[in-house]
Amino acid sequence: MAGGSAISGLVGARVHRKEDRTILTGTGRYIDDVQERGMLHCHFLRSTVAHGRITSIDVSAAREVEGVVRVFTGADMSAITEDLSFAQPIPGLNSPSYPAIARDVVRFVGEPVALVVAESRYIAEDAAALIEIEYDLLEPVMSTAAGLAEGATQLFDDVPGNVVHTDEQLFGDIEAAFAQADHVVTQSLDQHRWACNPMETRGGVATYETGSGQLTYEASTQTTHTLRFLLAGWIRHPIHQFRVTANNIGGGFGLKFSAYREDVAVCAAAKAIGGTVKWVEDRNEHLVAAGAAREEQLTLEAAVKADGTLLGLRVTMKLDAGAYPINPPATVYAGLVRTTLPGPYKLPAYQFRHHIVATNKASYISLRGPWAVETLVRERLMDKIAHTCGISPVEVRNRNLITLDDQPTKMITNVTLENVTAAETFQKLVEMVDLDAVRREQEAARAEGRLLGFGVGTFIEPAPGTQEFWAAVGFPFGSEPCRIRIEIDGKVTAFTPQTPHGQSHETTLSQLIADELGVGFDDIRIVYGDTDATPFSMLGTGGSRAATMASGAVVYGSRELRKRLLEIASHILEASVDDLDIADGVVSVKGAPGASVPIAQIAMGCWLAPEQMPPGTNTEMEFVANYDGEGGGFSQASHACWIEVDQQTGKIEIKRFLVVEDCGKMINPAVVEGQVIGGIAMGVGGMLLEHSAYADDGQYLAATFMDYLMPSAPELPEIEIEHLEFESDKVVGSRGVGEGGTVLAPAALLNAIDDALAQVGRERVTETPVTPTRMLELLGVIEKE
Amino acid sequence: MKPPVFDYVSPATLEEAIQALSAPDDGDVKVLAGGQSLVPLLNLRLSQPGLIVDINGLDELTGITEEAGYLTVGALVRQREAELSDVVRTACPLLHEAIPLIGHTAIRNRGTVGGSIAHADPAAELPTVAACLDAELVARGPGGERTIPAADFFTGFFTTALAEDEILTAVRVRSVGPATGAAYEEVARRHGDFAMAGVAAQVRLDGDTVAEARIAISGVDLAPVRATKAEAALAGRTVDDSILDEAADAAVADLSPSSDLHGSAAYRKHVAGVLIRKAVAAAAARAREAR
Amino acid sequence: MKTREITVTVNGRKRTVTVEVRRTLADFLREDLGLTATHLGCEHGVCGACTVVVDGHTERSCTQLAVQADGREITTVEGLAGPDGELHPVQQALRDNHSFQCGFCTPGFVMSIYGMCEEKKAGRSVPCSRAAIREELSGNICRCTGYQSIVDGAEAALAGAGSDTGKDA
Ligand SMILES: Cc1cc2nc3c(=O)[nH]c(=O)nc-3n(C[C@H](O)[C@H](O)[C@H](O)COP(=O)(O)OP(=O)(O)OC[C@H]3O[C@@H](n4cnc5c(N)ncnc54)[C@H](O)[C@@H]3O)c2cc1C
Ligand code: FES
Ligand code: FES
Repeated sequence: MAGGSAISGLVGARVHRKEDRTILTGTGRYIDDVQERGMLHCHFLRSTVAHGRITSIDVSAAREVEGVVRVFTGADMSAITEDLSFAQPIPGLNSPSYPAIARDVVRFVGEPVALVVAESRYIAEDAAALIEIEYDLLEPVMSTAAGLAEGATQLFDDVPGNVVHTDEQLFGDIEAAFAQADHVVTQSLDQHRWACNPMETRGGVATYETGSGQLTYEASTQTTHTLRFLLAGWIRHPIHQFRVTANNIGGGFGLKFSAYREDVAVCAAAKAIGGTVKWVEDRNEHLVAAGAAREEQLTLEAAVKADGTLLGLRVTMKLDAGAYPINPPATVYAGLVRTTLPGPYKLPAYQFRHHIVATNKASYISLRGPWAVETLVRERLMDKIAHTCGISPVEVRNRNLITLDDQPTKMITNVTLENVTAAETFQKLVEMVDLDAVRREQEAARAEGRLLGFGVGTFIEPAPGTQEFWAAVGFPFGSEPCRIRIEIDGKVTAFTPQTPHGQSHETTLSQLIADELGVGFDDIRIVYGDTDATPFSMLGTGGSRAATMASGAVVYGSRELRKRLLEIASHILEASVDDLDIADGVVSVKGAPGASVPIAQIAMGCWLAPEQMPPGTNTEMEFVANYDGEGGGFSQASHACWIEVDQQTGKIEIKRFLVVEDCGKMINPAVVEGQVIGGIAMGVGGMLLEHSAYADDGQYLAATFMDYLMPSAPELPEIEIEHLEFESDKVVGSRGVGEGGTVLAPAALLNAIDDALAQVGRERVTETPVTPTRMLELLGVIEKE
Repeated sequence: MKPPVFDYVSPATLEEAIQALSAPDDGDVKVLAGGQSLVPLLNLRLSQPGLIVDINGLDELTGITEEAGYLTVGALVRQREAELSDVVRTACPLLHEAIPLIGHTAIRNRGTVGGSIAHADPAAELPTVAACLDAELVARGPGGERTIPAADFFTGFFTTALAEDEILTAVRVRSVGPATGAAYEEVARRHGDFAMAGVAAQVRLDGDTVAEARIAISGVDLAPVRATKAEAALAGRTVDDSILDEAADAAVADLSPSSDLHGSAAYRKHVAGVLIRKAVAAAAARAREAR
Repeated sequence: MKTREITVTVNGRKRTVTVEVRRTLADFLREDLGLTATHLGCEHGVCGACTVVVDGHTERSCTQLAVQADGREITTVEGLAGPDGELHPVQQALRDNHSFQCGFCTPGFVMSIYGMCEEKKAGRSVPCSRAAIREELSGNICRCTGYQSIVDGAEAALAGAGSDTGKDA
């Protein structure tokens, strides 16, 4: 099959989104919009202590409250559910299982300790306030260092030394690399916890039909199929009697990839009560209990030649996993960081060691580019190498980057790179920035007492990655199905396992189908979310897979159906298939528009009277395509960030932000840009504002949006984007861009901050977030506490 | 995050409202004005009053007037109304400068001038303005009306001199004369956030020298702090860099703010000095223009 | 008194309903009237997802009680599009600019921008520079977009408002 789309038209255009009419008129169905007859409401009472043994729980007063239907303690819930277990046959992984509602021990502030089901959320909260719990306090473990310390309190019996997993992997001859080094450049970073915080929190509505025994769970999730099979086991429900659906989803960012203990409790409660129960997490619960990400400490040691060429790299990572494992297992995060860290650079030798440590915090979860710290530390290391070797940040990258000419080649982590254009995006970026002018401007500003900073970064994004890549990480790559149906009236319905929550798949997949099949954009509907309707996939929407994988599935599916339509039409029109074309839902003979047959007519014949259709043709108007990704691939980008530091207040203003990105063929540039800009906003917020902070005693400090600071419009810059659309010879030349902004922006930003600090002779950032207080400390204006 | 059970009354007159506040009750009584602080606290169940007295129907508490050299702003005047008021802008430029720094438009459309002052958040703008200008806070209770000077009004962390059965009815400040300028400077983590520290300054000039300087600082103590030493340092002097430094140093020396997630004590202390310099310089520049 | 009868006009329709006095306006709109376009993103006044227009002003519906809306006129996103489903010019401008992604924050932004446009039409000075629009929208949080596309849409909507071609709700 030839590369590119069969017909070019909508693909590549800034097509209006299908989703917009719904969301702009407020007619979507987000989880809290679901109202069913007799629906009951859930409220979880949550632990107020970080670590403790429950010595007593008294729910009798709560049960007496008028309007309360049921109160579940941990024991009540455990009687009807299995403990959640995410254990996998991964050597050395200590993955403790745990109950939906804490039974004996609580291990973080916010852990569910009781569930109240009542006629309204108001009443459920009234009742929860009457529950009395006593705890025997245990020492909380609030950092990886504390968790690994000799004699540290153990969170779990089956996690010895609080070590969830530890491993060391060696690639190439690391000793030789360091033996040859002219310089050894070291760097460390202690990244803080920050969180996904989709504007719609978690939640679900479970309905149990007592007659048929069917259970339906409508959830705010990124993966309905995975949620279904995980929950079915834990709530002891036959999976054929269990349907999971999702409609509008108000953002996920990785958080909604896992199944959670609250999902288990809500489904079990619906079964136990026999009806519909709803749980919508409020923002306070969300901030405290939904989990957060990015808490990693890394140290890097690079062996480099005098000219800045990388010889070898030693990396140690400690990952603060929080208390309870979720999906995917923490080894996947470590595997992602390890595998991706060499990035688009030539690296002859590499050693990576990690410790994943259990602490008394909410779970460590996926957040948009869960591996992001690899880019952050690597790109900052490149700048430090440049500084050490006396060359520019541009030069150090140019000397080490893998260019198209070098490919195919293998990363030291055994991943083949092919069609990777990180170097080309960087080249383009450098052409667009006059680095000398930047330096002159900085100097002039300094003369006026102002402090400017400039930083760059480049990276590759496994979107979707390759088979080899995911094998190295230790996670399935998986093919992607899509079922496409030409309806009896010639319109098209496509069923995807994607569960889009902002990624515009209804639009982009329709664009592809419209072009491939020659049907109108408005004549296509994309069905997602419902496990009764959509084909199975473990992965749903995550990992920026859809641009390649879901696109490939609809392209192959459309092409198969197109072939069937053309064959039938060739009989009807008495013309060769090669002479036929489809446009606007009509098959016609090229150059003879009078000779035509509408798809509707063919479809009606196929559905109603297939035996009367031309003999030997395939009259099945529905087809399930499975796309293997054609080996997959990477997208790539380079960022440049200009900042000004207010040396009196420590506030950092981003003056300009430039992106050169290459995600291959753009299906809809407006969608690509939205993902890139939204991703950068999240990365900037994470570095400067957001902090899922804990006090030493394990209390959570950012439990409202007054304290967890989401970036708002004035905090963010206007972002300039340049696209390079490198087209491979694959059928689907589109790569994902969902996560890259969040991955790379922190690196460019921190490099800019380090650049500013260096100009006034100060040390680099080693801890995030870079708050105004931290900035003044780094500048030496105030003392660190 | 749903409000707890409470009783609710919405009196039509101030008399009735005071009566409702004084009536014996089995729990806390809370006045509800704009609700922009109180309702979030109810939703979080951090406030669990037995009775809510909604004063939004009290016309006596509305209106902005300037009379006999005094600007009076009714407690129930929405922050947004005061922000857009020409009377406020000319009679009390400091208030005009400060209000837009409160939250966001939709918050100010509902939040009231009196509510912010009665709430007495140490980081809030309006209590700081009140402290800076020695505002007179007019309150009515069962015993009638009394006027509380700002210096006596803010008694501590989110606490005021108002009795439980008293309602703040109006805020009164002296209208500015000629050669007077004002500025409000603050540093917040984000646009619209409560400030980590803020400074209200009003300067009256006599020729080139400072006839009167008024300075108050937010976010550095349990209540707004009047920077009297800085004010004294400025009096009778010409505003230049060295005198600004002197004033700022004098003010900051006495501060011992506390740390939180958003800013350390050292940060707040440092920034208070920075903001004093900025705010006083801006106020003096404006005063010069207004000569 | 734990409940009270109130009369409110929502999107032009007058309703008389008995509500619990502790019920927030947002829950009243969403659950009692079934107007679920108004979203709850934080329930403490910060995120702006619940923004509605009350008596001509943008206000949070999570930080007021339903009983306080007695006698008032409320417009929600459901009240903007024409009866034939034709998008309001503000909605159209946002659609043309690909302003949103997941759509959860969207009703709040639509109402905030609608509020700005109405002020402009009423002859009030409304800041129209991109920086000023960003400040004006600082009370609405969006996690998906990074705001740039929303500012694009708001800029277009404001340019259209006041030219008197804008259709009123
Ligand atoms: C997102 C957000 C951001 C904000 N940012 C800021 C900011 O930057 N700066 C700032 O200053 N504020 C900010 N606020 C708070 C806002 O200004 C409030 O309007 C103000 O604090 C309280 O005024 P209110 O009229 O809403 O009072 P309410 O919330 O109704 O009441 C507050 C308290 O004062 C009492 N009270 C109110 N009126 C009276 C009265 N007349 N007599 C006696 N007692 C009374 C009430 O009983 C209650 O205890 C913000 C609020 C939000 C939600
Ligand atoms: S829900 Fe009302 S402001 Fe967030
Ligand atoms: S579009 Fe998702 S929160 Fe704004």
